[in-house]
Amino acid sequence: MAALTTTAPARPRKLLASRKTRIGILYALPVVVYLLVLFVYPIFSTLFLSLKDTDGALTLHWYADALTGVNLSVLFTTLRISAETALLSLVFGFVLANAISRLKPLWAGVAMLIVVVPHFISALVRTYGWIIMLGDKGLVNETLTGLSLPGAPFQLLYNELGVVIGTTSMMLPYTVLLLYGVMRGVDRRLLAAAASMGAGRITIFRRIYLPLVSPGLASAGLLSFILSLGYYITPALMGGPNQTMIATLINQQVMKENQWNGAAAQGVLLLLITFAGLLLVKLVTSLGASRRKRSAT
Amino acid sequence: MAEHGVVTPSVETAGAASATTTGKALSVVALRKTYGDVVAVDEASMEIAAGEFVTFLGASGSGKTTTLMMIAGFCEPDSGTITVGDRDVTRLAPQKRNLGFVFQQYLLFPHMSVSENVAFPLTLRGVPKNEIRRRVGETLEIAGLSGFGSRKPRELSGGQQQRVALCRALVYRPPVILMDEPLGALDKKLRDQLQVEIKTIQQELGLTVIYVTHDQEEALVLSDRIAVMRNGLIEQFDTPRELFERPRTPFVADFLGAANFLPGRIEQHTDAHTLVRLDGSGGLLKARRHDLAIGTPVKAAVQPGRLRVSAPDDGFCTGTVETATYVGTLVRAGVRVDGDDAPPLRLEVPAGRGPVTGERIGITADPDDVNLFPTEQGG
Repeated sequence: MAALTTTAPARPRKLLASRKTRIGILYALPVVVYLLVLFVYPIFSTLFLSLKDTDGALTLHWYADALTGVNLSVLFTTLRISAETALLSLVFGFVLANAISRLKPLWAGVAMLIVVVPHFISALVRTYGWIIMLGDKGLVNETLTGLSLPGAPFQLLYNELGVVIGTTSMMLPYTVLLLYGVMRGVDRRLLAAAASMGAGRITIFRRIYLPLVSPGLASAGLLSFILSLGYYITPALMGGPNQTMIATLINQQVMKENQWNGAAAQGVLLLLITFAGLLLVKLVTSLGASRRKRSAT
Repeated sequence: MAEHGVVTPSVETAGAASATTTGKALSVVALRKTYGDVVAVDEASMEIAAGEFVTFLGASGSGKTTTLMMIAGFCEPDSGTITVGDRDVTRLAPQKRNLGFVFQQYLLFPHMSVSENVAFPLTLRGVPKNEIRRRVGETLEIAGLSGFGSRKPRELSGGQQQRVALCRALVYRPPVILMDEPLGALDKKLRDQLQVEIKTIQQELGLTVIYVTHDQEEALVLSDRIAVMRNGLIEQFDTPRELFERPRTPFVADFLGAANFLPGRIEQHTDAHTLVRLDGSGGLLKARRHDLAIGTPVKAAVQPGRLRVSAPDDGFCTGTVETATYVGTLVRAGVRVDGDDAPPLRLEVPAGRGPVTGERIGITADPDDVNLFPTEQGG
């Protein structure tokens, strides 16, 4: 969240003249070069690629392509699955982080380790783990059949449910980490103060706790949404043909069709959507803040 | 509920705004709390009248805060009962006790404006919007915070924040307001100023307040009655004057008055006085306690401000001024008493004719200002 709210004040020009600043620039040089080579250059070359026709002329043809027909529906699928993932990982992340934040520091540390350590394992391995678990003869369906649940075994793989289960589990450590940090920062005595005035549990949660952790919710939700947008392995392995996400499409274009320009256009679109998401969250939070300010007067 | 035939002190305050129906706002009977082997509060009992300002005074670990937390409901007593008005609240959750609480750390809700903070307890009680606006405005005005309503807590100074917290605790007129060292985080000057404000508001609105502090001066300024606590026990629960002038234990005499303690033995009873032969100097000190047998070893407690300077050999002892510190209106002197190897006697005398270092002086005390405590081994 901090990254969203910080606004660097304009520095007086005369500072540049000082020796200290010049040395500072020297120190920053490696980072600047690093960013130019590995960040700015690839992005701009992708941008040019997406605007270049096969004969070298400028065109918007690839964008038109990316926004029509199957490509458009893939884009919508991507947005939908990302939103579902963000929502679910937010809900599960909230419950988990909330529980962990109430533990004693030692146990909280252990619990965080349990949440985070699986993340050290390759996403590919974890995805195959899920596939084994969720298959027709997997642990989940065997258990459900054993309980003679009507309808079991369920189709938990190669559909949207499968993809969302997979991506949500991949995003969970991020949301838990983010929310846990914010929740730890909430002064528990504020909740006691509210109770002393007569507020019940639900009121305290809704009117004190939730507003205090909402910045964390916004950034955690946004983060898992953005990460899901470009997620490749899990949707590709756990989804069916109807769950093709944009990253899969880009991969197909590059690897199978050698179609770099179209892939670049879709990549740029993905980037734009991400920016739009960031902007939206910033807008919503500042709108909320100003509305609260107005209602107070 | 335990039977207690305690005579409630008659109500002298007209707490018009108070929600209680009887004169008794709160009573605590045989309250006990232990943490492992440590007894935090030991059988504390007291009755507090509506409109009364009561302070729990003690050092850290004396049990004052634990007692307050049990009254608030943040901490459950092992045994005993707490009654607010006529309602037994001992096992109720904090939110069901309808008390007010002011915390040392203010604990204003950071995401709400000042007005919203103060309005919060009213919204919980379903008070209509217009009424809320009126009462919040009124309360903020009392605390001198009109015009601050739309600010966020972080935009206020510490003193202002604590005023808001005070408003938030009294806006819904709880029968009792609890305050846990509310001025502890403020600097001395602001603390003095807010003490006066709190006292004024309390008197104007007829609030019943239980206040916790370790600052004896603060306790004296604010309180109608003070419960001096030590090691989980209430040493004495009395008016400031009584505590100061008639301390019931040496601890109270020391804690409130920073008294000098002079060991000696009861030598003689006359019609008006009890004469004490002091161990060190061998002088005779007059006191007024007649219930102690001749020969009883005692400690005579006299506060530094109650000792007077006289001519040498005219008084219960004579000594040499070792230190004399000028502190504004007073001179604090340390006097080495002849024949006594105890630490110097501490005196506080008006600065005008204060003693100077090296001077030989006699020391006298009004018999009414001398409190005698029998020492332990003497029985």
